[in-house]
Amino acid sequence: MKLGKYKWIVGVVAVLLIAIISSSYWKEALTKKKTTDIIIILKSNDTTIEFWQVLIDGIHEAAKEFNTHVQVRGAKDEADVDGQIALVKNAIEERPDAIILAATDFDRLIPISTDVVARGIKLITVDSGINSDIAQSVVSTDNFKAGREAGQAMLQQITGPAKIGIISYVKNASSHIEREKGVREVLNSQPNIELLDTYFVDGSEQKAYLKVKEILEIHPDVMGIIGLNEPTAVGAGRAIQEMGIGEQVKLIGFDSSVNEIKLVDEGIMKATVIQRPFQMGYLSVKTAVEAVSGKKVQKQIDTGSLVITKQNMYEEENQKLMFPFIGK
Amino acid sequence: MSILSRLQSLRSVQSNMLLASVALILMTIMIMSVVSYYLTKDAVQSKAQEYTTELVKQVNYNIKAYVNSMKYMSEVVEGNPFVQDYLSKGTFASLQEEKSYKETVSNLLGSMLVSRTDITSVNVFGYDGKFVSGRKELELNPFIELTSLNWYRNAQDAGGQSVISSSHVQPIFKNRYPWVVSLSRELYSRDGSKQLGIFLADLNFSVMNEMFADIRLGHRGYLFIIDSSGKIVYHPQQQLIYSKLKYEMIDRVLEVKNGTFTSDEGIDSRMYTVQDSDFGWKIVGVSYVNELVSNQNEVRLSYFMLGLICIIIAIIISYFMSKRMSQPIKQLQSYMKEVEKGNFDIHVPVPRMTEIGMLARTFNIMVGKIKELMNQVVTDQEQKRKSELSALQAQINPHFLYNTLDSIVWMAESNKSKEVVLMTSALAKLFRASISKGEELVSIRTEIEHITNYLKIQKMRYKNKLDYQIEISESVWDYMTIKVILQPIVENAIYHGIKMKQGPGLIRISAEETETAISLIVEDNGKGMDKGKLRTLLLPNPVTEEGRGVGVRNVHERLKLYFSPQYGLTYKSTPEIGTSVYIQFPKFPHSLEAKK
Repeated sequence: MKLGKYKWIVGVVAVLLIAIISSSYWKEALTKKKTTDIIIILKSNDTTIEFWQVLIDGIHEAAKEFNTHVQVRGAKDEADVDGQIALVKNAIEERPDAIILAATDFDRLIPISTDVVARGIKLITVDSGINSDIAQSVVSTDNFKAGREAGQAMLQQITGPAKIGIISYVKNASSHIEREKGVREVLNSQPNIELLDTYFVDGSEQKAYLKVKEILEIHPDVMGIIGLNEPTAVGAGRAIQEMGIGEQVKLIGFDSSVNEIKLVDEGIMKATVIQRPFQMGYLSVKTAVEAVSGKKVQKQIDTGSLVITKQNMYEEENQKLMFPFIGK
Repeated sequence: MSILSRLQSLRSVQSNMLLASVALILMTIMIMSVVSYYLTKDAVQSKAQEYTTELVKQVNYNIKAYVNSMKYMSEVVEGNPFVQDYLSKGTFASLQEEKSYKETVSNLLGSMLVSRTDITSVNVFGYDGKFVSGRKELELNPFIELTSLNWYRNAQDAGGQSVISSSHVQPIFKNRYPWVVSLSRELYSRDGSKQLGIFLADLNFSVMNEMFADIRLGHRGYLFIIDSSGKIVYHPQQQLIYSKLKYEMIDRVLEVKNGTFTSDEGIDSRMYTVQDSDFGWKIVGVSYVNELVSNQNEVRLSYFMLGLICIIIAIIISYFMSKRMSQPIKQLQSYMKEVEKGNFDIHVPVPRMTEIGMLARTFNIMVGKIKELMNQVVTDQEQKRKSELSALQAQINPHFLYNTLDSIVWMAESNKSKEVVLMTSALAKLFRASISKGEELVSIRTEIEHITNYLKIQKMRYKNKLDYQIEISESVWDYMTIKVILQPIVENAIYHGIKMKQGPGLIRISAEETETAISLIVEDNGKGMDKGKLRTLLLPNPVTEEGRGVGVRNVHERLKLYFSPQYGLTYKSTPEIGTSVYIQFPKFPHSLEAKK
């Protein structure tokens, strides 16, 4: 009887002690919620390219909001495919929860990306994907749609028969391939428009400038140039401006920069199709966090695109997209 | 431990006290924890609100300082005679004069920008196309139509009042697209009759941006600013709002002048603290409600833990307290159990606690009294027995004496003087043996002598009808026995055995000896008894017929009383054959008797 009573007391005390210990563990688990580790590998670590800077801003904004630890890296330049593969390889060794990749090459990043997925690391591609659907999610502009928008902007600028040239930055970047397809889809259907071959400029604005100059000299009857990204558009704009044929040759570009804005202001560039890099950065991190926490994520996330002309450039909402706020 | 005993243990004083105090403490602690948790929560919440309000106010002051400095500039510029002259003059005497005017105005504007990196430009635009900037290196962007810009049109609409724009890109200068907040104002001639142009001061927005971006309310809270039309001047997540990934409650903010409201978004509810600045902007601090008690869970947990620790301590304390209280009661109870078993030789130690002490003291007195009474009862009983026994013993003699005297008288009448002598002397010896100095114990030798005399007398009376043999070995002669135990048995054998049967009868007295006890055996070959009679023979107080059995029972009782209940008489009898009686008592040497 006496022992029994002791048992009772000992039992109660033991239960309470267990409760305390377990709750303190629970508390630890509660307060030390593990932060997600994400490594982001962009096409280029060139901080002068506004597009990537704004995208990185979006990444940091999301990282702050979702309490995520992010590291942003980039290849030397957008043509440095080997450099980027090496970066991905190193990132795998660090075993992050997720890797966000903006692929410099449509095909050559596939094997290393397969490695990423095989190691159980979530893979999200941003802006430029790979020619494989192993990524958990692809966060990018619907480049095909953007290409169509560029094509349509060009159509609005020209009347009558015309020759049009397309300048692409690098071969094998999915974003450029898609854009080109979009442009071609719109313009091919026009009977009086002749599309020239796509010109590749190996990731150089200077080459784009020279190439466009060359094209305009060889084909003086070219009426439209479409630059598939910022450097190509600026290079083309420089050539057109120099040759003083801004009235005759209509230039449509992609993305935005001070140089492009000047070109639009000056009336040389008729329109530019801008993307939403901030959204890309933000949504890629958000999607990665969701994927890591086991939620089902959308396979394709379109961040949208917008055609900017001189007329709508200073509208409140477009300002923020056209003139990104850098260096905050 | 069975359920029943567990229940009983729950019913004990100790568990009751324990349960009661634990329940009391538990309730107190729970109420205290809940109350203090909510008090803390409220305190933290109102503190956070206070802090946010203070912060928002501070931001308002800072912005106002910028706005006021720009306003001041506009006033200085408007009141300046050179500016007035330069703008109102349609034509100048010479290009030189115009240049010097422009130089003077530019210097004036430039002097305002000295050590003001936060102001990107101060400019005056005349309606006749004049343009002077405080920064001489700035050139107008030829592709921009001034009149298409909001700050320009709003200043015209305001009629001389200064107008603050929202944050915007200022595209009017060549190669520059800075984010600015513009203060613009239409300039009037001194007499107020003529509109001369527009004054524009641009505040570098990155100054504000830097000021706000670092402000965090809690972990996720932030600050944003809208202008009077609800356009966002500053928002850390402006891009997300434009792309509809985030939603801000701008309509409700516009309704509130100053104050606080909370959006209803579940765990993501936000508390908006709105401060209206007097130039049309609203500064809004947003904090997440679930963050206000930032470590809400931690607070709750620490209260929970504290409560648990208190409860454990309370249980331990109340366990020992209740044990201390109930221990003396239990002790008392165990003593009572002893008493229940019949042990009165106990004394309960008196505990120091008053109530229980009194109980114990009273209990001790009670046990003492009971013991006294019991002893008295025992001695009374003994006394009673003894007097009963002597009464019984006394019964034998007159009976026999009467018969013997009868025989003597009868013999004397028949002149048998020899027999009379013999019988009388035997009677005398018999009495001597039975009196035997009044002692209860006598040696078996004496007892044999006694029974021999008795049988002699009876033999004389019954002649051939009675025969007897006494065959007791000498080894037992010196052991002690209570006196007059054989005579009542033999008497019984004669009167109820031999007398009742046809022909002569034999009485045989022998002895058996074991390690510890002696049996004297009286056998007769008389009438015997059936089982029914045998059974009632030794029962106390049977219905007696002619006093029969009184003597025998007396012997039985005395043996039990004197030695111990295991001794006494045993009868064996067969009807028409005879009866044997075993008289058993312990070996009791003479020396022991002497000691006693």
